[in-house]
Amino acid sequence: MATGIKDYAARSREIIREDPGVRESVTGATIAFDEKRRQGYAEVDADAWRRWAEGVKNHTLTHLDRYLAEAEEQLQANGAQVHWAADAAEAREIVTGLAVRHGVRSVVKGKSMVTEEIDLNPVLEAAGIEVFETDLGEYILQLLEEPPSHILGPALHKSLEQVQELFADRLDTARDGDPDTLARAAREVLRGAFIHADMGITGANFLVAETGTVALIENEGNIRLTTSLPRVHVAVVGIEKLLPRMTDLAGFLQLTARAATGQPIGCFVSLIQGPAADPGDDGPEEVHVVLVDNGRTDVLAHEHAWEALRCVRCGACLNACPVYRQTGGHAYGYVYSGPIGSVLDPGLLGLHEAMPLPFASSLCGACEDACPVRIPIPELLLEWRREAQEEGLTPWKERAALAGLASVATRPGLYRLAGKIGSRLGATGAARVLPMLGEWSKDRALPKPSPRTFRDLWREGIE
Amino acid sequence: MKVAFFVTCLADHYFADAAADAVRLLRHLGCEVSFPPDQTCCGQPAYNAGRTGEALRMAEHTLDVFGGQPDNPAGADAVVLPSGSCATMVKKFYPRLATSPGASAVRATALAERSWDLAEFIVRRLGVTRLGDGLAGRRIAVHQGCHALRELRLETEPATLLEGAGAEVVPWEAQEECCGFGGLFSVKMTAVSAAMADRKLETLPDVDWVVSGDGGCVLHLDGRSRARGDRVEFVHLATALWRGVNGDGGKTGAK
Amino acid sequence: MSVESRERILARVAKATASRAGLPHPGALVTPVTDDPEAAFVKRFTSSGGEVVEAGPGRERSAWLTRLLRGLDPEVVGVAVGPEVPPEFRPRLPEVAAAHAGAGISVAWAAVAESGSLILPSTGTRAVQLLPPVHVVWVPRGRVYGRLEDALRELRRNLSAGVGLHSGPSKSADIGRTVVTGVHGPGRCMAVVGSYAPTGTSET
Repeated sequence: MATGIKDYAARSREIIREDPGVRESVTGATIAFDEKRRQGYAEVDADAWRRWAEGVKNHTLTHLDRYLAEAEEQLQANGAQVHWAADAAEAREIVTGLAVRHGVRSVVKGKSMVTEEIDLNPVLEAAGIEVFETDLGEYILQLLEEPPSHILGPALHKSLEQVQELFADRLDTARDGDPDTLARAAREVLRGAFIHADMGITGANFLVAETGTVALIENEGNIRLTTSLPRVHVAVVGIEKLLPRMTDLAGFLQLTARAATGQPIGCFVSLIQGPAADPGDDGPEEVHVVLVDNGRTDVLAHEHAWEALRCVRCGACLNACPVYRQTGGHAYGYVYSGPIGSVLDPGLLGLHEAMPLPFASSLCGACEDACPVRIPIPELLLEWRREAQEEGLTPWKERAALAGLASVATRPGLYRLAGKIGSRLGATGAARVLPMLGEWSKDRALPKPSPRTFRDLWREGIE
Repeated sequence: MKVAFFVTCLADHYFADAAADAVRLLRHLGCEVSFPPDQTCCGQPAYNAGRTGEALRMAEHTLDVFGGQPDNPAGADAVVLPSGSCATMVKKFYPRLATSPGASAVRATALAERSWDLAEFIVRRLGVTRLGDGLAGRRIAVHQGCHALRELRLETEPATLLEGAGAEVVPWEAQEECCGFGGLFSVKMTAVSAAMADRKLETLPDVDWVVSGDGGCVLHLDGRSRARGDRVEFVHLATALWRGVNGDGGKTGAK
Repeated sequence: MSVESRERILARVAKATASRAGLPHPGALVTPVTDDPEAAFVKRFTSSGGEVVEAGPGRERSAWLTRLLRGLDPEVVGVAVGPEVPPEFRPRLPEVAAAHAGAGISVAWAAVAESGSLILPSTGTRAVQLLPPVHVVWVPRGRVYGRLEDALRELRRNLSAGVGLHSGPSKSADIGRTVVTGVHGPGRCMAVVGSYAPTGTSET
């Protein structure tokens, strides 16, 4: 899988330097989301909710084979068809095959990370099928041919002015159109798409084993339309999305919304059991659920990283993350960005492919405090760093420097001597011998060593 | 109370005066302070980089120096560090590092239990919140290191002490946000790290001092602010508090 | 192909789960119970941008709803009405396709106070619930649950193919972080509480 991950350091620098509007938009949006999340948590016993959710997910993930089988059986009993995709290529083949078999000419899509992950749209388009992203943010990005920058607000790196310009060029709206006018113009285009589409494609927030329910959360209503109007609905679902029971949804629907936007629940929740069955129901004639592995079983098998599979894709960790806020998601070079991306991507893609993401964190811990399922993100980052060190995936200079530090720090005499030399060299002299200080001084003035160490002061006596 | 002072390598070499002020403070509060001379680095740089082997070697050296048993060679009731981050290393990460059963696990837990960040020690262990009123009229913004904030949960302690000495602690929009230091992070992802510092500096209210109990954060923030040409005065928490005791830290006092 | 993948994935999952101890399900999430679910629903639903209307004491629901729809801005001329709505709860306005209706009229299976949600089964028509700019929903009397979990426990036995929980108007903040309503679904969602009793049940 070709990703842009390895260029993280260069790309983040480029975004910060060349496109400062991104930092401004992303910082503003994520701080607003994060504040709403805090309010949303404060209204309930968030600690208890989060512990409960962690427990349900841990239970599910440690019994996942059982629940997958149960979900499949239930879905089939409901009249839905279940497909299994080991990797992205197979998932694409399944979905494209369904579209071709049904003579689909036009597809409407609900916002879905997993369909980004499997890179679905290009193959549908290559098959001559028109694809409409219907989430407003995703629609903006589809027009711009950009990948999403955030799990929840895919276009949050775009300013109002940028959308005004885009819509003026493409939808013929006024150059100074207000958000309401712009949204109405998009609605008009997409309303036509909903009515004419032959197939609706979504992801899933949860898949309930007990009832074979695909649960989807949203605010715009586009997912309800996507799952209701076209004659075929395809839900592409990661195998970690399982929940045991219908009643488990109560906590998860509410907690996910609170973590994501502070809302008590999404404006629209779709609970899809299968194809339309009742006389008045105008829902789809066929419902297909594609269960996707694509690296998830590798994550599940990992001693530590399996905990990242608890993720409900709420985006709370991105919103809380001061690293993510500087660049948005594009710097990370893969669909899952920010803190969760940095612990999930090494598991999904292989650590080598995901370097240097485990190091794209100051380990400040804000993500873990925000996470609704209590994924210990800083600890998992450290685990990946340990593996990266063991596998020799880090620069040799860095390893040599740390080995040097350990040698000096375990020999007090040598340590004192080094300290003495350091303070004599002063700031610029130290920069010459310590390679890392060269990097440091790219963006900062050099630190000034104390003229005399504390050790000297202690020896002379502290009054 | 007998206190073994763990100066930490950054404070030893970059904040020597602040570390001396920490010793003055502890003595002022009635502590008998010792300085085990063989102490070096706590090992956090290696730990955060994922170099577990090196981190463990440094941790074991520190356990040798400060002991882990009640009858430790330093003979102290408490180990105090003028650095929230290094205190977290000893208190939270040593026990995680030394998980293999055996002597070092026991020693790590014992040392963790009697180690304190300076502000934590003064407020939570000694129960002191008023240290003098030498900071009267002084406008201060507080930067909390992330480890102190989210691992040790020292959410109020530094501000409580500063306010107790008469300072006005001014709310800071980015108060609880990471400054972007993160040790190795600051040299590996230097552009993002600098942008994070900028966010702190851009939102900094009009204050006399920015006070922090974490040397690493200060080196980074100060380095960035000097590179930007800002004029921000960074003061280590130990120095600010000692000036509060000493009576020379106020607006009208000798500056 | 797909059969092989099924076996392969399940085998890999089984191997991974066998490598660690199974953890127990923590049971039900305990959330507060409310004494007055209807009042709590009104509060939550309106705070999410939903509107609550009461049909008043009269028995003429149909005339009342007609007046309500005519009085909206813009005035509702044609309506789309779900097949589940009994005659005495249908407005006296021309019925048109949902795509062209000024309002859609449905009956909820129940409402939920905790989340401020209307639970809409697909025994009705989904286009009615989604396409018109205004959605008016009759909430059956006595059918307001306090907790979402209790509602879902009951719903489990009454599941239709595609259930929708509607908890306010359609909205988005994807453009310039400004909240706009009626993006794809209804821009107004109105719940009528306290007066709907389906045919065959007694009215008091």
